[in-house]
Amino acid sequence: MTALVGLLVVVPMLAAAVGFVAGERQWVRDILTVGSLAGATAIAGILLAHVESEGTVVLRVGDWDPELGIVLVVDLMAALVLLVAMATILVVQLFAIGQRRTAWGADPQLSGPLLLVLTSGVVLAFLTGDLFTLFVAFELILVSSYVLLTHQGRRGQIRSGMTYVAMNLFASTLFLVGLAIVYASTGTVNLALLAERIPELDDPLRWGIGLWFLVVFGTKAAIFPLFSWLPDSYPTAPTTITAVFAGLLTKVGVYVLIRFHVLTGMDDLGPLILTLAGLTMVIGVAGALAQDDVKRILSFHIISQIGYMLMGLGLFTLAGIAGAIVFLVHHIPVKTVLFLVGGLIEEREGTSALDKIGGLAQRQPLLAVLFALPALSLAGIPPFSGFVAKLALVDAGIEKVVVPIVVIALANSVLTLVSMVKIWTGVFWGSGDDESATPIRILRPGHRLMVGATAVALIASLAIAASFGPLWDLGERAAADLLDSRAYIEAVVS
Amino acid sequence: MIRGRSPVVRSAIRAASPLALLVAAFLFFAGHNQPGGGFAAGLVIGAVVALRTVAGIGRPQDATRWFAVGTALVSVVALAPLLGGEPLLDQVIVSETVPLLGKVKSGSALVFDAGVTAIVVGLFVAVFDGLDADELGRDEVQV
Repeated sequence: MTALVGLLVVVPMLAAAVGFVAGERQWVRDILTVGSLAGATAIAGILLAHVESEGTVVLRVGDWDPELGIVLVVDLMAALVLLVAMATILVVQLFAIGQRRTAWGADPQLSGPLLLVLTSGVVLAFLTGDLFTLFVAFELILVSSYVLLTHQGRRGQIRSGMTYVAMNLFASTLFLVGLAIVYASTGTVNLALLAERIPELDDPLRWGIGLWFLVVFGTKAAIFPLFSWLPDSYPTAPTTITAVFAGLLTKVGVYVLIRFHVLTGMDDLGPLILTLAGLTMVIGVAGALAQDDVKRILSFHIISQIGYMLMGLGLFTLAGIAGAIVFLVHHIPVKTVLFLVGGLIEEREGTSALDKIGGLAQRQPLLAVLFALPALSLAGIPPFSGFVAKLALVDAGIEKVVVPIVVIALANSVLTLVSMVKIWTGVFWGSGDDESATPIRILRPGHRLMVGATAVALIASLAIAASFGPLWDLGERAAADLLDSRAYIEAVVS
Repeated sequence: MIRGRSPVVRSAIRAASPLALLVAAFLFFAGHNQPGGGFAAGLVIGAVVALRTVAGIGRPQDATRWFAVGTALVSVVALAPLLGGEPLLDQVIVSETVPLLGKVKSGSALVFDAGVTAIVVGLFVAVFDGLDADELGRDEVQV
């Protein structure tokens, strides 16, 4: 089982290396990317089944002691998020293959292999058992994301790419300094040992470390007020790239935030995190309401949804953490589908600006359905996954009697719906006649694959709602493992 | 830049390159138990690449190939132990007595390090390709 864990990190890397030198032979790259991503998804599935029944899997890389070496830990939370993440990247890659021949597609020679490097980084970030490897994983993700964002060299991409690079480099530097602080005060960067030692530190130092990493991971997760890099840079990238980033990258930030702060028992920061969660929700959705472009509205939604996950964390209760994990699992596919639909609209109409499109529901009923279902889910309308995930969080909030955040969370759902309605009326309703008849184009080769991939992702997200009972059980068990850090420590150290 | 203007600097860089590569080789092998290693060696070679680019002397080309070879080496060494049922990245250590050098201890980590070096060198090549330093040099010559 541990061999599989290693393969999960290394295989995408190896496939990327071969993909780089494949030159003009596109079929080699396609087989490599799809093959390795499908393999990773299968492994993630096997791992989830194994971890669910047998407990945490720990890989000691190079057989070194956890105090000295690198450990990769697959606990329930990691396995759960990993499976969703891998499946999502696979679907997006299929979409990318379909989209390649259009002007909106990313350069396949670069984007295929780099997506694999990114995948490898994401896997490493989910599985790593120490902070330094986490830093390396972040760098792996960031370096490949810089290139993916800007490789087409368009003006908007370079401009917003600069903000993205600057903000993230700054956060990385803070991360490095934070590592030094942690190592100086505890003598280790291993998460299991930190879970033992950080709670024993003096209050000021402990709070300092907690706040420091709240800023570091908060920047990656785009929480208020550190989100400014996100809404400008994401919409400029090619659709498939944005879809992966939107679905995954900020969620990696939230994931490590949950893991670090819960394991090290930062309960005292709860009220602060809840405040930030409320602000993140409100500011994000307010930003979305002000936009008039499909992709920009969706980008602001990412921020507002991050607030919900943060809310679960801020409660620091079993139900809260479980809610955050389940929300994470629900959010990844839904957000990705929405961006893929945004890409389909853009490809169809040549733009994603609201005032230039209209009446798409008549001409493209399938597209309308593909948009409507995940949009309702994101807003939290029953019976979709967004509803149950939000209900779980609100329930957790009521249980701990934190009224303000519950009110904000509920009000925020309405506002999310309003901004979705804005997209709906702008893009899908209306006659579109004032456009002097947008020419109905012939379906390009690959269009079916794009629609198919989007549909598969949508079905997956609907399946999450249908199987919510078991998922909630898993989320609760994962949260219990995190809150009771002894289980984690025992698995890693012994 | 310096190209075509200062034969002294050009000759000096030409002469210093092999020496710098020697230092890189030393760092590469020292890395096992002392400060150094594949990354440091790659940085020194990268410095050579930088100097040769500025002076307009030939330097390694094709960053992609360097990246690919490096990543492939690293991945293969990382994965190989799995075939024998050992954990990821486990290494084989060989200890031999060689004439001239005496007792030499080495292992599969050396190949891993070589991969790291290749990636670092590839990065330098890519950066200088990106900056188009060659073009810059040509402009200066025309002035």
